[in-house]
Amino acid sequence: MYKYILESAGNINWMALFALLTFFIVFSMSIYLAFIKNSSDLDEIANLPLADDN
Amino acid sequence: MSEVQTFSYDNKIVRDFGIATTVWGIVGMLVGLIVALQMVWPEFNITQYFTFGRIRPLHTNAVIFAFVGNGIYMGVYYSLQRLMKARMYSDLLSKIHFWGWQLIILSAAITLPLGITSASEYAELEWPIDIAIALVWIVFGINMFGTILKRRENHLYVAVWFYIGTWITVTLLHVVKNLEIPVSMWDSIPVFAGVQDALIQWWYGHNAVAFFLTTPYLGLMYYFLPKAANRPVFSYKLSIVHFWALIFIYIWAGPHHLLYTSLPDWAQSLGSVFSLMLIAPSWGGMLNGLLTLRGAWDRVRKDPILKFMVVAVTAYGMATLEGPLLSIKSINAISHYTDWTVGHVHVGTLGWNGMLTFGVLYWLWPRLYGTKLHSVKLANTHFWLGTLGTIFYTIPLYWAGWTQSMMWKKFSTDGFLVYTNFLETVTQIIPMYMFRSLGGLIYLIGAFLMAYNLYKTSKAGTLIKNVETTAPARVAYVSHAKEHWHRLIERRPVQMLLASATLVLIGGLVEIFPMLLIDDNVPKIESVKPYTALELEGRDLYIREGCLGCHSQMVRPFRSETERYGEFSKSGEFVYDRPFLWGSKRTGPDLHRVGGKYPHSWHYNHMIDPESLSPGSIMPPYPWLAEQELNTKYTSAKIKVLRMLNTPYPQNYEETAVEDLQRQARKIARELNEQGIEQENLEKTEMVALIAYLQRLGTDIKPDKMVKN
Repeated sequence: MYKYILESAGNINWMALFALLTFFIVFSMSIYLAFIKNSSDLDEIANLPLADDN
Repeated sequence: MSEVQTFSYDNKIVRDFGIATTVWGIVGMLVGLIVALQMVWPEFNITQYFTFGRIRPLHTNAVIFAFVGNGIYMGVYYSLQRLMKARMYSDLLSKIHFWGWQLIILSAAITLPLGITSASEYAELEWPIDIAIALVWIVFGINMFGTILKRRENHLYVAVWFYIGTWITVTLLHVVKNLEIPVSMWDSIPVFAGVQDALIQWWYGHNAVAFFLTTPYLGLMYYFLPKAANRPVFSYKLSIVHFWALIFIYIWAGPHHLLYTSLPDWAQSLGSVFSLMLIAPSWGGMLNGLLTLRGAWDRVRKDPILKFMVVAVTAYGMATLEGPLLSIKSINAISHYTDWTVGHVHVGTLGWNGMLTFGVLYWLWPRLYGTKLHSVKLANTHFWLGTLGTIFYTIPLYWAGWTQSMMWKKFSTDGFLVYTNFLETVTQIIPMYMFRSLGGLIYLIGAFLMAYNLYKTSKAGTLIKNVETTAPARVAYVSHAKEHWHRLIERRPVQMLLASATLVLIGGLVEIFPMLLIDDNVPKIESVKPYTALELEGRDLYIREGCLGCHSQMVRPFRSETERYGEFSKSGEFVYDRPFLWGSKRTGPDLHRVGGKYPHSWHYNHMIDPESLSPGSIMPPYPWLAEQELNTKYTSAKIKVLRMLNTPYPQNYEETAVEDLQRQARKIARELNEQGIEQENLEKTEMVALIAYLQRLGTDIKPDKMVKN
C-alpha cells in the first residue's frame, strides 16, 4: 500500500495542489479576519456613500 | 476639531463622460445590430470595410472600451470625489483623460474597418494605439491616486478598493498582452507564439471581462445602489470578502477559454477549478447588492432606477453562475465554439453593464442639472425594453448554441456523422439569429429613449459645473494597538494597491511562468516548419479580414471533430504562429486541417462568391482579394522580426523572401490556370497569398509531408 502511494506521488499535479491551497488560505483568512470584528466598527464606513448629499 | 474647508466637486467631467457613454453606447449597439443582421443576410456586408470580420471587433471594442469604459469613468469621477471629500486632483488631467480616451476610441473606429488589427480578441488595436491607451490610463491613475492622497476622509470605502484593484490589474494585463515588436506603423508581431500566446491572450481576455467589465462596475454598484436605495450596503464584511476573494481568484480563470485545446492539461484544470470557486465571491457580491434593498422593495416597484439596478445585479449573478458552469469540461465540450458563449457574454454586457449604466445615468442626470428627470414613464418604458431586449437576445442564442452543438456531434447508428455538411448546422439556426437581432433592436430602441429623456432633462435644468461643499480637513489617524487589520489597510491606498497587485500577480505568475519556461509544455514536432513568405502574407490577410471571428483553427480531441476535420491539433504545430489564431467561435467550420482538402480553384471561387459553392452560406464574398495587389513592402521586415524571435528561417532569407514569395505565387497562379481560373496578373493578387496560407494549414504533420522531411 505505502509503496503504491509513494510511486503515485510523482503523478500528483503539484501546480493544481499549490493553487488550491493558496486559494484556500487567502479565502479562509479574509473570511476569518472580516468576521472576527464586531460589525459596529464597520457601520461608520458602510455609511460613507450616504454621508454626502452633494 | 479640525478646520472646515470649502471646496467644490467637478460635475462637468462627470457629465462629459456621461454623454460619451450614452453616445458610444448607441454607436456600439448599432454596430452590434448590423453584425447580427449580417449573420442572417450577408447582403449587409457592404464593401470590404464593413464586412462581419472587420466590424465585429469594432462592436466589441465600442461596447467594452467606449460604452463601459466611459461609464466607468463617469461613475468613478462622481463617486471618488464624494467618497474622498475632495475635488479631482487635477482638472487638466481630467480633460486629458477625457479627450485622450475619445481619440483612442475614434482611432479604433477608423483602424478596425481598415483591417488594421493584431487579431487578439479585445486587444485588436495596433501598437501606436496600445501606447496611447497606456498613457491615458496612467493619466487616469495619477488623477485617481492624486485625489485619494489629498482626501479629507480617512477611510477608503469598498468602492474605492475596487477602483484601485481595477487600475493596477488592467495596467498589468495591458502591458503583458501587448508585448509586440513593430514591423511598420500599423503592424506588429507578438513576442509570444502558439500555445503561449493563447494562454497570455485568454489570461488577458478573461481578465478584461473581470477587471474592466466587472470589478469597476462592482465599485459603482457599492456606491450607487446604496445611494439610490438610501440605505447602506447590506454587509460591509461581506464586501471585504467579496473584494479580496474576487480579485485573487479571477486572475486564474483565463484558461477556461482553452479547454480541450492544445494547452497543457494542468493549466486547463487550474482554469476550471478557479472558475468554479468564483461562484462563492460573485454570489456573495450579488446577494450583498440585492439585500441592500431589504425593506425598500416597495420602492423598487415604482422607481425605474432601482429596477435597472436590481436587474443589473441579478444579471451579474446569472452570468457569474453560468460562467463557472461553462468552465466545467463536460459542459464546455458542448458550449464552446457555439452561440451559447455569445449569449452568456450578453447576459453580462446587456444585463449587468448596460442596465447598471442606465440606472446610474438616470440617477445622475437630474442631480447634475439640478432638476427632475424629464419623464419617469419613459424611463420605465426603457426598463422594460432593456429587460425584454436582453431576454429576446439571449434565449435564441442559447437555443442556437445547443442545436448547433448537438448537430455537430450527432452520429448515425452506423457510426457516421449525420450532418456531414457544416452548412446544415448553420442554416438550421438562422431563425434564432433573426430573433437575436430583434432582441438587439429592442434593446437599442430603449437606449435611444434614454438618450432623448436625458437630453430633455438637461434642457429643463442647468448644468451645475461645480458643486460647492465643505468638509473638515483630514486629521492624521493615530493607530492603536488592537486595531482591526482592515481598518489599517483601508486608510492606506498605497498598501491597498500593493496588496491588490500581489494577489493578482500570484495567479498570473503561477500560470504563465511555467508555460514560458518549461519546454516540455510544448513538445516539438520535427516536421513543423516556419511559414513561407507568401504564406506569411496570406496569414496577415486572414488576420486583416477577421476570418478568426468565424473560423477556429483548433480541432479538439473529440471523435465528432476528428471525423469531421481530421487529426486533432497538437501544441507543437503552433510554435511559429504569431499571433495564434485558434479563434473562439465557429460560425463556419474549423480550418486547421483545411490545407490540401480542396483545389486552389475551390478557394478562389469560394472567396469570390461563397454561395456559388455553398448555397445558403452566410459568409461574406471577398472579391477584392482577386483585384488588389499583394503588398510586399514589409515582407522582409516581418521575416527579420520573426528571426529575432527565434523562428528558424534559412540564413539571409529576408533578402530573398520577396523573390521566394513571387516564385510560389507564380506556381499557385499556374495551378489555378490549369484548374480553369482565367485572370490576368493572378500571381500578384492577394487571393494567391491567402490560398497559399489556407493550403498550408495543418499539413505539417500529414504523413506524406513527414516522410519528405
